[in-house]
Amino acid sequence: MTTAVIASPSELAIKTDGLTKRFGRQTVVDDLALSVPRGSVFGFLGPNGSGKTTTIRMLLGLAQASAGDISVLGERMPQRLGGVLPRVGALIEGPGFYPFLSGSANLHRLDSADGFAPRGTRSERVAHALDRVGLSHAADKKVRAYSLGMKQRLGIANALLAPRDLIVLDEPTNGLDPQGTREVRSLIRSLADEGTTVFVSSHLLAEIEQMCTHAAVMRAGRLVAQGTLDELRSAGATRVSITTPDVEAATRVLLALGLDPGLPDATGPVAASVAGAASAGQPGTILSAALPEAVAPEDIVAKLVADGVRVRGFSVDHASLEDLFVALTGEGFDVVQ
Amino acid sequence: MSSSDSGATPVRSGLTERRNRRSVGLGFFASELAVLFRRRRTWAMLLALAAVPILIAVAVRISSSGSSGRGPAFIDSITQNGLFVGVAGLTIAIPLFLPLTVGVVSGDSIAGEANTATLRYLLVSPVGRIRLLVVKYLAAAVFCLAATLTLSIAGILIGIALFPVGPVTLLSGDTVSIGDSLVRSLLIALYATVSLLGLSAIGLFISTLTDAPVGAMAATVVLSIVAQVLDSLSQTEWLHPWLFSHYWLNFADLLRQPIEWSSFGQNALLQLGYVFVFGALAYGRFSSKDILS
Amino acid sequence: MPRTWHRWIPAAAAPVVVGAVVLGGVFAASASADPADKTPQQVLELAASSTVDTFSGTIEQSSNLGLPDASGLGGTGSSGSSNDGDLSSALELLTASHTLRVYVDGPTQSRVQILDDMAERDAIRNGDDLWLYDSKDASAVHSTVPADASGSTETPAEALTPAELATKFLDAVDPSTKVTVGDPVKVAGRSAYDLILTPDSSTTLVSRVDIAVDADTGLPLSVDVFAQGSSDPAFHVAFSSLSLDAPSADLFDFTPPSGTDVTEKALPNRADAPADGSAPDAGSHPEPTVTGTGWDTIVELPASGDATLPSDTSMLSQLTTPVEGGHVLQTTLLTVLITDDGRVLAGAVPVDSLLAAAAQ
Ligand SMILES: Nc1ncnc2c1ncn2[C@@H]1O[C@H](COP(=O)(O)OP(=O)(O)O)[C@@H](O)[C@H]1O
Ligand SMILES: [Mg+2]
Repeated sequence: MTTAVIASPSELAIKTDGLTKRFGRQTVVDDLALSVPRGSVFGFLGPNGSGKTTTIRMLLGLAQASAGDISVLGERMPQRLGGVLPRVGALIEGPGFYPFLSGSANLHRLDSADGFAPRGTRSERVAHALDRVGLSHAADKKVRAYSLGMKQRLGIANALLAPRDLIVLDEPTNGLDPQGTREVRSLIRSLADEGTTVFVSSHLLAEIEQMCTHAAVMRAGRLVAQGTLDELRSAGATRVSITTPDVEAATRVLLALGLDPGLPDATGPVAASVAGAASAGQPGTILSAALPEAVAPEDIVAKLVADGVRVRGFSVDHASLEDLFVALTGEGFDVVQ
Repeated sequence: MSSSDSGATPVRSGLTERRNRRSVGLGFFASELAVLFRRRRTWAMLLALAAVPILIAVAVRISSSGSSGRGPAFIDSITQNGLFVGVAGLTIAIPLFLPLTVGVVSGDSIAGEANTATLRYLLVSPVGRIRLLVVKYLAAAVFCLAATLTLSIAGILIGIALFPVGPVTLLSGDTVSIGDSLVRSLLIALYATVSLLGLSAIGLFISTLTDAPVGAMAATVVLSIVAQVLDSLSQTEWLHPWLFSHYWLNFADLLRQPIEWSSFGQNALLQLGYVFVFGALAYGRFSSKDILS
Repeated sequence: MPRTWHRWIPAAAAPVVVGAVVLGGVFAASASADPADKTPQQVLELAASSTVDTFSGTIEQSSNLGLPDASGLGGTGSSGSSNDGDLSSALELLTASHTLRVYVDGPTQSRVQILDDMAERDAIRNGDDLWLYDSKDASAVHSTVPADASGSTETPAEALTPAELATKFLDAVDPSTKVTVGDPVKVAGRSAYDLILTPDSSTTLVSRVDIAVDADTGLPLSVDVFAQGSSDPAFHVAFSSLSLDAPSADLFDFTPPSGTDVTEKALPNRADAPADGSAPDAGSHPEPTVTGTGWDTIVELPASGDATLPSDTSMLSQLTTPVEGGHVLQTTLLTVLITDDGRVLAGAVPVDSLLAAAAQ
């Protein structure tokens, strides 16, 4: 799998090397080599239980690595924890607040724990953070009375209390309504626009695809892919699909060009679902085949038309990341919708 | 690769300023006290403690027909002088009620944060694990002081309300002025506070062992009872001077003329030893612990 | 990746440091201070010439007489016979551990406080007035010291101070006693000579008496009485702190607080206490007879109708074992025989000696 081209270590917001965590005999994170470029929105993708939260705990010095090195914002962790963490905002495995305090009192409390946060601007910063996540109206409500989504927003607000160089968000859209999910997405984009590196973990592919510039894919504690989204996409095959009633003629043309339309069951889950849709549809049958680099799509259309195939539809699809991730992570992947 | 050149300027420049040196942590200590004393539970415990001398005073007042002849003699002297109610309340509360409340506060200190999942956010703030331990311990100590003062003051006030007040007879048979006796009441509250410092350190340590605050609280309270039972068994006499509860009731030495300070000193030294040992244990455990709650 | 074992170093070190501080304190206290060498005779003279009659201090006293703790034997009831009450309080003084504070200013002003749990017993002598105060039942006893009694009047509590006790042992030094001086010791932060009295008798229960004599003033600072066959003192009394400054005069000015139950009591003419170091048996009216000398001394109280020790009380039956002709109270240091005809014999001797004396 392709790895992002790295200019120098100082350009990396997070870098791990051989990072390993064992709980007893179970290896939960195995030899992880993450490279998160500064200024990126980095998606950390993997099914439940693949070790994302455990990795984040190690990055932030909450858990001790069994082996390996970590550097965050150019400094070694956890040795330089005191200097690094004030520049890092984090939401880790769900929010945690004192139920008997109001949302704003909770933020005041957590801000006072940061020895570098100036006291004079605390109230202003708390109000600003609450405003950014749309919680201003509930600032003085006890957290006990917050809904799950409101708590999640408050957790994100906590990560935004001070100017940060890196923001780590572990499954930030958990428990949020679609509206909230959209808001978080645009919030992350605006953070990225300010130059903050955002490291966001998720088990939802769509989320990562919509807001990230980079991604890494975890499977059972191992890193199976890492790079920019484009790099990841290009790693997957491009496919052409033809909708036609003349299946036999079309198949012959495709085979002659070196494409293998195959049978619905042979082309993987995506093709299978498309084929299923085709059998119910009226205009014709969809034929789908991987597009070799040597063949230009226009040549296929020209040849089909020349051979009298009635082409009712033609499309070239870059493999969706979904295809890729299903291939990478196997069974049990929690695909969105 | 670097896209930081695309960063927009922050909204308000004042908000982006950062201290260039870390603060000592007084702000966090103040916040810890605020959290402690904003909890309804804390107030419930203080009220319960205040109820101890009030109940004693009311009970004695209602049944003031002669002394029962049991229990510490100065429970009887309440009827002669209301200023004794505070001391009587402390005497009753020291074996169980005070350790109970101190066990709740100190046992909750770390485990409670782990339970509400706030612990990981404090640590990534970052508060620093040692600083968190120190602040938690100091807050527990402040609670000890608040608890004993609440008891004493509630006792003195109810005593003034229900019984005659006048110069106080000490254990030595000497009589001291009201002012002197109030000073001694304060000293006794301080003595009781110091007595509870060792237990607080034990509670803090136990609290680092678990994510279940109730377990840590219960274990702390049970230990305080075990210590007192051991202290009363003659078979474990060699152990007695090492038990943190050994000097708990020796505050009576402050009611002698002249004041016998040695028990205050021995008690303080013993408690200091416990703070030292269990503080180090708590540090060892907490600083090497994975926060997985 | 470095492991985290080093974070436990403080936890491992803390108990060691605490232990070192505690033991260091013990060593510092027992560090020899090496006053100028003196012969036993010189130390005896030093003690005899002691003129300290103004001091205040705290005294720790503990006993290991092989008796159950008398404080747990109060089952006879506080309203029992006065004899029983006196006996139990005397036994309590002998068998339980105590902390006492003494304040002495000249021969006629003194105050001894027995610091009990949540209570206190005081004995205050101020000129001719002698007060006993007990905070437990808020009672006081007042006596007037007869003019001719000079300074010799003492309360049972006072008899427990190292100085008073040592004086009794030193008075008993006779040719049958071997007197040696051990290594210098430190008591209450003062360096002292360790005077060791060893009875040259095979018939006494006392194997050795150690008296620490203050190197500066000759004041006895501690007394340890060892029983035969034991390396731990059966009776120990020592200053834990001592000041030679005059105590505040207020301390001797005692007025019983209001609400106190005050009894007036005439002072009995008290015989000298037996030389074995037991506290004088309070309330013993009959004239005792003394047989034997030195460490073998046996004191015999004749039977007298009203003053007989009530042998049927539960406390006595708990403590004594029946022998032919009476009951025996056996402690590691002292044996008491109560004969069936009501006589009481006591001495630091085995039962057989008492039985023999009783048979005479
Ligand atoms: N405290 C723990 N003790 C033992 N195993 C744990 C602990 N916490 C997590 N794990 C295991 O580690 C694996 C990864 O968990 P986690 O990092 O939370 O996954 P993710 O965040 O990707 O869903 C899981 O198999 C989980 O069972
Ligand atoms: Mg997770």
